[in-house]
Amino acid sequence: MLINFRTPQPEWGKIVARALRWLVRIALLWTLITAFKPAPPRAPLMPPQTVETTQPRLCLHTRLIDEVDEWKIQRSLIMARELGARTIVEFFPWAYIEGARGQYYWGQADRIIRHAQNQGLRVIARMGYVPAWARGDTREALTTLNTLPPAVYADFAAFVAAFAARYAGTVDQIIIWNEPNLAFEWGYQAVDPAGYARLLQAVYAPAHAANPNVVILAAGLAPTLEPRGSPHGLDDLLYLDDLYAAGAGAYFDALAVHTYGFTQPPDAAPAPDRVNFRRAELLRDIMTRYGDDAPVYITETGWNDHPRWTLAVRPSQRIAYTLGAFEWMEAHWDWVDALCVWMFRTPAATFSYPDYFTLVGVDFQPKPIYAALQAYARGQVSDQPLWLPPP
Amino acid sequence: MKRRLALLFALIAFVVSVILWLPRPAPPIEAILPARELRIGIDPSNPPFAFSQADVLTGLDIDLAEALAAEIGVPSRYVLLGFDGLYDALKVGQVDIVIAALTVDPARFGLARYSQPYFNAGMLLISAAARPIERMADVSGRRLALEFGSEADAEARRWLRRVQPFTLQPYEQPSHALDAARIGEADAALTDALTARLYLREHPDWQTNAAYVTVLPLAIASHADRGDLAVAIDRAMTALFADGTIDAIIIKWL
Repeated sequence: MLINFRTPQPEWGKIVARALRWLVRIALLWTLITAFKPAPPRAPLMPPQTVETTQPRLCLHTRLIDEVDEWKIQRSLIMARELGARTIVEFFPWAYIEGARGQYYWGQADRIIRHAQNQGLRVIARMGYVPAWARGDTREALTTLNTLPPAVYADFAAFVAAFAARYAGTVDQIIIWNEPNLAFEWGYQAVDPAGYARLLQAVYAPAHAANPNVVILAAGLAPTLEPRGSPHGLDDLLYLDDLYAAGAGAYFDALAVHTYGFTQPPDAAPAPDRVNFRRAELLRDIMTRYGDDAPVYITETGWNDHPRWTLAVRPSQRIAYTLGAFEWMEAHWDWVDALCVWMFRTPAATFSYPDYFTLVGVDFQPKPIYAALQAYARGQVSDQPLWLPPP
Repeated sequence: MKRRLALLFALIAFVVSVILWLPRPAPPIEAILPARELRIGIDPSNPPFAFSQADVLTGLDIDLAEALAAEIGVPSRYVLLGFDGLYDALKVGQVDIVIAALTVDPARFGLARYSQPYFNAGMLLISAAARPIERMADVSGRRLALEFGSEADAEARRWLRRVQPFTLQPYEQPSHALDAARIGEADAALTDALTARLYLREHPDWQTNAAYVTVLPLAIASHADRGDLAVAIDRAMTALFADGTIDAIIIKWL
């Protein structure tokens, strides 16, 4: 009997044939998958554009970070340039970019900034919104995107520094937080000017180390008359005073201001107990009192033309007042770097009065105020009536 | 044997279906509202829904909230908020529900449950009853009055891209647009339902045809995780619709 002690040799021909069959199958599957994959969004960059305007301080607050489609980002920025705005303010939420500690996703921010650069627009970045991992133990207390425990100020500062470094030379103005004088913007906690001063302090040095040319803007405060002790917030004049008293002046390079006209025309006189467009002058007075001559960026302004909101005006008044605001700035406010209209467009409608702050509809249909601002930025004056006389 | 088994399964399926179909008894109010009060988020800057009159909170939403709390059997407590803070207040549990002329917003479904709608605040096409115009396509070749720069203006321009041309007649005030339709200087006026209803209250003699062009349902929001509360709100709403309370509130204000 012959016993073969050799190890059986593999049949290489069969193995190769099987491998080839699998290769063909995988190639077919790959072809099918790519055939059914939706086409990538088409928003190719244009040749570099420049803004043509007679009002270089005209600025728009956009809301592009929530746009899914890149073409909508591009369309918005094209329309901003065509309107004659040289600057936009855009929100870059910490929660969107650093969803896990130390892991950054810059895709959407890159897209926005790439298209803004392409359209020749300067970008002022606003920082805010806390990722879940930084909000503390949510089992102990319910939190919102605005809940920022002091223990994570350094993490927030690290994020701001990462942003400042990445976009140095492209985005050189960064606003730290939004309206911290409102309880809901401060995570539904009691507002705390000294706490916000510590946040500015935490951010200032790391941001400047990351980008020596960065301009750190203290947040625009909500125009409000809330007295001390109110659960809703604190009067913006009192808050700014407290902020300087807490030593925050050393930790910001410019002040962002939110000033709305509500039902009053742009030239209505300011007063501490009145909220109107020229309230910005009272904030400026506080800066001056503390010896601070830093520039002011009015990062939110405008009027609302909702049919019934108690703080709204008619659409025709909104146009007149908005144009009047730019004329007032030209005549009286040389300390203002930019006047940013709130707001260009939202990705989705709220179906309430906030929709009536926008310049174009969700479908990009320009409202008459868009055309009016565009004509103003082009130096065009028309005496053609826009509406019929009452019947 | 097989037949008996099949019959047994059918019987079990029937009994289970009946049990599932039977209305679940409502949990006690202490379980739904542990504080035994209904904390309602309100935006007091939005007449006629909620506003201050001589320092007293009033409006359609306030009347609805009072009726709702009474129907559920608890006192009401109002938490005044700006529109921006309404959903955050719901999220952190500062309020149980929000009644603030809220539109059902699919983007909020992760956070909020909405009740059945209590009002359609969409756009209305108003024409004379003698020459009714039922839909926007029928405005073609006619004159449409509206407020310059308003949502009606935007809506009409959208329609101009879809139907045969019509003449836009913009006015500075929505009441001027409705005046034009009333006195025959326009064939119809387009305006939001609230503006139209408020105007028609002041002109009861004008016989009109009103047709909705858009739908904008207003509803009450509760937290998505509080299903029992949402069910209680909806049951109360059903009862208030059935006994005419909600219709009476709407007629009182609009």
